[in-house]
Amino acid sequence: MLLEVRGLTKFFGGLAAVHELDMHIDTGEIVGLIGPNGAGKTTFFNLITGVMRASKGKVIFEGEEISEKKSHQVAELGIARTFQLNPLFGDFTVLQNVSASFHLHPRSRLWDIYFNTVVYRRNEAYILEHALEILHLVGLENVKDELAKNLPHGYQKMLGIARALAIRPRLLLLDEPIAGMSSDEIDFILTAIQKIHQQGVTLLVVEHNMRILDLCERVLVISFGRKIAEGSPKEVRKNKEVIEAYFGDAYVA
Amino acid sequence: MKRDKKVPSATALSSHIEKRIWEKAALYTGVVIIVALLPVFLRSIYVMHVLILTFIYVVAAVSLRTITISGQFPLAHAGFMGIGAYCAGMTSKWLGWPPWITIPTAGLVTMGIGMLMGYPFSRLRALYYAMGSLFFGIGVMQIIQAGGIWTGGYSGLIGISPLFPVTTAKIYYYYFFLGLTLVSIVALYRFEFCRIGMNLKAIAQSHLVASSVGINESWYRILVVGVGCFFVGMAGAGYAHYNQVLSPASFNFLATLWLVMYVLIGGIGSFAGPIIGTFILILIPEFFRDLRMYSPFISAAILGIVVYLMPQGLASIPQLVRTRVTERRNGKR
Repeated sequence: MLLEVRGLTKFFGGLAAVHELDMHIDTGEIVGLIGPNGAGKTTFFNLITGVMRASKGKVIFEGEEISEKKSHQVAELGIARTFQLNPLFGDFTVLQNVSASFHLHPRSRLWDIYFNTVVYRRNEAYILEHALEILHLVGLENVKDELAKNLPHGYQKMLGIARALAIRPRLLLLDEPIAGMSSDEIDFILTAIQKIHQQGVTLLVVEHNMRILDLCERVLVISFGRKIAEGSPKEVRKNKEVIEAYFGDAYVA
Repeated sequence: MKRDKKVPSATALSSHIEKRIWEKAALYTGVVIIVALLPVFLRSIYVMHVLILTFIYVVAAVSLRTITISGQFPLAHAGFMGIGAYCAGMTSKWLGWPPWITIPTAGLVTMGIGMLMGYPFSRLRALYYAMGSLFFGIGVMQIIQAGGIWTGGYSGLIGISPLFPVTTAKIYYYYFFLGLTLVSIVALYRFEFCRIGMNLKAIAQSHLVASSVGINESWYRILVVGVGCFFVGMAGAGYAHYNQVLSPASFNFLATLWLVMYVLIGGIGSFAGPIIGTFILILIPEFFRDLRMYSPFISAAILGIVVYLMPQGLASIPQLVRTRVTERRNGKR
């Protein structure tokens, strides 16, 4: 088991954004996470990655409890993420966005960086090479010298994924990776996601789009912070409670 | 290891900066040579005094801008300069330490105090950070004023040993502070344009993304405050040994505001900005010495004009000219 979540709860005032959530992800899976707006999906991501502290419950990654860890410590353990609203280093070029994200592997000591030692130059050469590889994978190598803020939306989303790959994740959390993309771009990114998966990265994807859910072996549905269903994409689609949560009980056949 | 083409010097990070590196190196060398030769042409002791003060404030302004690249805007920088100055002044007066020990010590002490302040404040952002540091700066000077005989209180600290015991000639001070300033500038330049500075700029643009790729936001923000304080502390210590008299009024909030002005007028977005800003704002009022009582108005007018005409500061003039020329040329076609 790669990631295990036990009784995870987060209160915002009196509102339970995530309530007693249990789940697990095995190594090598692609797991989908869906739910209506405000169901707590993004909060769930923020709890796992240490952006927020949980009110209750445990997150265990590879046998180590990470619920108390900070964002950068979670990243060190190998959990990468993208963001729904996709903030990025806007004033950096695309290539700089990715190479700045190579902070952990290889990691240079301050001393080496400041005095530009052989170790540091070797690391930077490695970073340049691998950053270009990642940009090739997500199809951004042609715009590598553009400022990130000038990119169209679809490219910015892909840049988010490229940046997350730079930390060499074992678990990659994607928050709506294809929202607002054209169908060509969706085709491209689905291929990229499959390639990333083949490289041995486990994925947890928040998305509403059915095309991405068909990649998933398992889909979790949450509503008002609670897990209401779990199963293969087909099973979930037929589940009464899921239909009710999305469309109201009038649509339940 | 062979130095083949596979080993660039951080080009993955700063390719756009290093393009015109030789052109820039020539320009900087030229400027340094001119400044180094100035005393030959200007025999006036007063002008040399003004230039020495300018050098000291250049270090302060450049180190202030270095902190701001991390997205933090501290309003305690003159306070830190005061910490360095009083640290050097007091160790010199009460312990009899020579300047070559007090100056680095003052740098380290200021760095330590800056990092202690940075630790709790690294949770604050933007305006809240500015406000927190503002009160810190004011508080520090209040403590120094309340120091009684040890700090000299309101009336100031006197009897600090001069930098050079055997001579009072300004020319030695001139070259000492020119050297100190150059070393500080080069050190801070390297700090900004290596991966450390890159991480700081990443934090400034999005702390969420930066920490999601493993950059320890708090540590880097504390680090940059420490580095900025180290240099401003040394500048303050140099000031103490140059002036030999310290008054708390030299390091109050108004002094911080002047440093902020130097940075803003020169251009906060460019490394040369605070250097240009400090020279302009200290030297221009000197041309109007007869109108000295109006010098805040002159400075304010300069600030207004600069902010209106070139929001990126004076350092952006070459860029503006280049854009204008290209536009002209394209327009004619």
